[in-house]
Amino acid sequence: MMEKEKLRKADIFSGGIIFLFGLWIVSQALKMPMKDSWGGVQNVWFVSPALFPLFVGAMIMLLGALLIRIAFREVGSKELKRVLRWLVSPDVTRFLKTAPLLRFYAIVVLFFSFVYLNIPRIDFFLCSVLFLVVFISMFYFDDDTLLKKMFFFYLAGTILFVLLMASGLLAALTSVLHYPSDWFTFVFIIGYCLYVWTLIRDNPALRIKFKTSLILSVATPFLIGPIFKYLLLVPMPKEGLVVVLMDAIRYWEF
Amino acid sequence: MMLLDRLGTFFEIVFHLASAPASLAILFGSVLLGIIFGAMPGLTSTLGVALLTALTYGMDTDLAMVCLLAIYVGGTYGGSYSAILINIPGTAAAAATALDGYPLACKGEGGRAIGLTTTASAIGTIISMVFVVSISPIISHFALQFTSFEFFLLAFFGILISGTLTSPDLVIKGWIAGFIGLFLACVGRDLLQFYPRFTFGLTELDSGVEVVPVLIGAFGIPQIIQVLKDRFQIGEAQKIQRILPEFGTIARNIPAIIRSALIGVGIGAVPGIGEDIAGWVSYGTAKNTSKHPETFGKGEMQGVLASETANNACVGGAQIPLLTLGIPGSPPAAMLLGALMLHGVTPGPMITFEHPTFIMEVAAILLLASCAMWIVGILLAKQVVKVLRIPPQLFMPIIGVLCIIGSYSLGLNIFNLYLMLPVGIVCYFLTEMGYPIAPLVIGVILGPMADENLRRALMVSQGSFLPVFQRPVSLMLFLIIVWTVVSQFQWYRTFKNRMIDVLLRRKN
Repeated sequence: MMEKEKLRKADIFSGGIIFLFGLWIVSQALKMPMKDSWGGVQNVWFVSPALFPLFVGAMIMLLGALLIRIAFREVGSKELKRVLRWLVSPDVTRFLKTAPLLRFYAIVVLFFSFVYLNIPRIDFFLCSVLFLVVFISMFYFDDDTLLKKMFFFYLAGTILFVLLMASGLLAALTSVLHYPSDWFTFVFIIGYCLYVWTLIRDNPALRIKFKTSLILSVATPFLIGPIFKYLLLVPMPKEGLVVVLMDAIRYWEF
Repeated sequence: MMLLDRLGTFFEIVFHLASAPASLAILFGSVLLGIIFGAMPGLTSTLGVALLTALTYGMDTDLAMVCLLAIYVGGTYGGSYSAILINIPGTAAAAATALDGYPLACKGEGGRAIGLTTTASAIGTIISMVFVVSISPIISHFALQFTSFEFFLLAFFGILISGTLTSPDLVIKGWIAGFIGLFLACVGRDLLQFYPRFTFGLTELDSGVEVVPVLIGAFGIPQIIQVLKDRFQIGEAQKIQRILPEFGTIARNIPAIIRSALIGVGIGAVPGIGEDIAGWVSYGTAKNTSKHPETFGKGEMQGVLASETANNACVGGAQIPLLTLGIPGSPPAAMLLGALMLHGVTPGPMITFEHPTFIMEVAAILLLASCAMWIVGILLAKQVVKVLRIPPQLFMPIIGVLCIIGSYSLGLNIFNLYLMLPVGIVCYFLTEMGYPIAPLVIGVILGPMADENLRRALMVSQGSFLPVFQRPVSLMLFLIIVWTVVSQFQWYRTFKNRMIDVLLRRKN
């Protein structure tokens, strides 16, 4: 949590967002049937589906406005002007490039790419290994310069994957190669590991850390995955190269 | 006779669970896992319950409850390890324990402190279990008289009180979080007319937001971001000596332990308030009633006993509103509610009719979990504290994968993941800006109950709010809600102080 003084300044903005959010809820609720007929039922206001959202939206608006009022009274107009000036100054750009924020971007990008891009398209085991190897190595090394380099390498790979997918190249490859996305990920994992190795090869302590990261990244999905797939009978979100291989081993399909 | 019957049923269930190897293995395994989760800074018992919910999906309800309650009990107790040995509470519930636990460890009494907290935590859980057995059926019977207005007001009160007491900054932020939770509960087709609300045309949202993925996102993702973004480091742990239960010290402190347990049960029974508040209130009470309050904060054993007994007693206390009214008493209890719903058990006043032995089962599991916790705590504490050496940078990404596979496996729906992640990111920002997450979660859970009951009540009264003032329980709830809101404003406090001044002057 932020310090109290910073918190109050932020409250003016968060209060504003919350007020607008409440307003949006109310505006959407007003579009719901209040006294009209819905599904053959003539509505009255007290059974309307809009009743509860209207109450919730109005309360959010009211509380948002109260928060702005409390924060504004504590911060004062002079300080607010200073904050607004800071928001348009080059200091904001410097702030957005600080190390903690870089770490934040790395975490968010990793999660978003994992959930929205990789899980629906790549074999669960492979994309989990990729997620873990990148995530653990970026943070376990405890070095922001290295984190930046590894993050940009991962970002480049992700962009390349999106481009390959958008251009239809991956889909076209299906006729000559099974699971092209999985093969691409497999190659990328190896590429990423080699890149990290070149970055840390002169540092014995980091080399040990990297080995630990690799072991954990590979072992975890192969420990968790089979529990869900074969014990709890949960089909993986995307079953590809590795799952097919594991199924073959599990059911002796050779 | 009825009491004897119930006692008979209770011990029958205890014997049945204790004699089944599978349930015993799950009990001890879950307690151990809970202790590890509680001990590792950055992981919480709520997250533990959330992640294990996915694994219990295929189990019987009984076994699932053994698993989840055991991890809850173990997790609440496990927080004391890191609080005592590295001065960082493993969970918020153990925050008060660190004040005296760490100075004790620095004096070379870490083993003694852990031994005492283990026994005190077990006693706290057992006392709370007695309350679950004795009070729950009474509340449940009483709640059968409730009408829709009472249920609406009760849900509303739960959200407000949770917002009021869990907010780390302004109370208003707790309320905002609660209303955001209520909004999330509005998403989907409404229960009375099937009208799609805030679904944006997405059929996946027609059935509303899935509670468990939202809870996993709300508790898991912000935790991962916070720990990794702020480069959270675990300090060097103090050395640990022999761990003994020290029954003599416990016997000398029995009145204080009972008082702390009662505080824990009482706070646990208030909707939406967690073990951390129970720990702090109990610690404060122990300090205020002590003959030597100056020793608190410098390694006072009574301080450690007070907070640890209360936070574990809170576990049972939180089950009382959960089982009888369907209102979770704490964030992990909210997770338990989600898990129970997945298993087709709907807690509430009807539970004694639909599942006549369910309350007894919960009490029996609490008893067994506290015994298992005591055994594991005394025998394995020295081994478990080794997990404190694992850096969070190694286990947090793994927790991330578990959050994702856990959310997906409940319903086998990738859309759950699409929902979990934004909820988690929004919750991270809310946490950073001083908004508590517990009221949001309580709002998501109690939202459908509040919505449905408000409209049903108005349907019966033909749009009139008059029944609120005509029925004693609803009037009482209404007045408590008004007081909870009004008492937070400065003008009320000024008015109250003036009135006290006037009364004192008149008296003089």
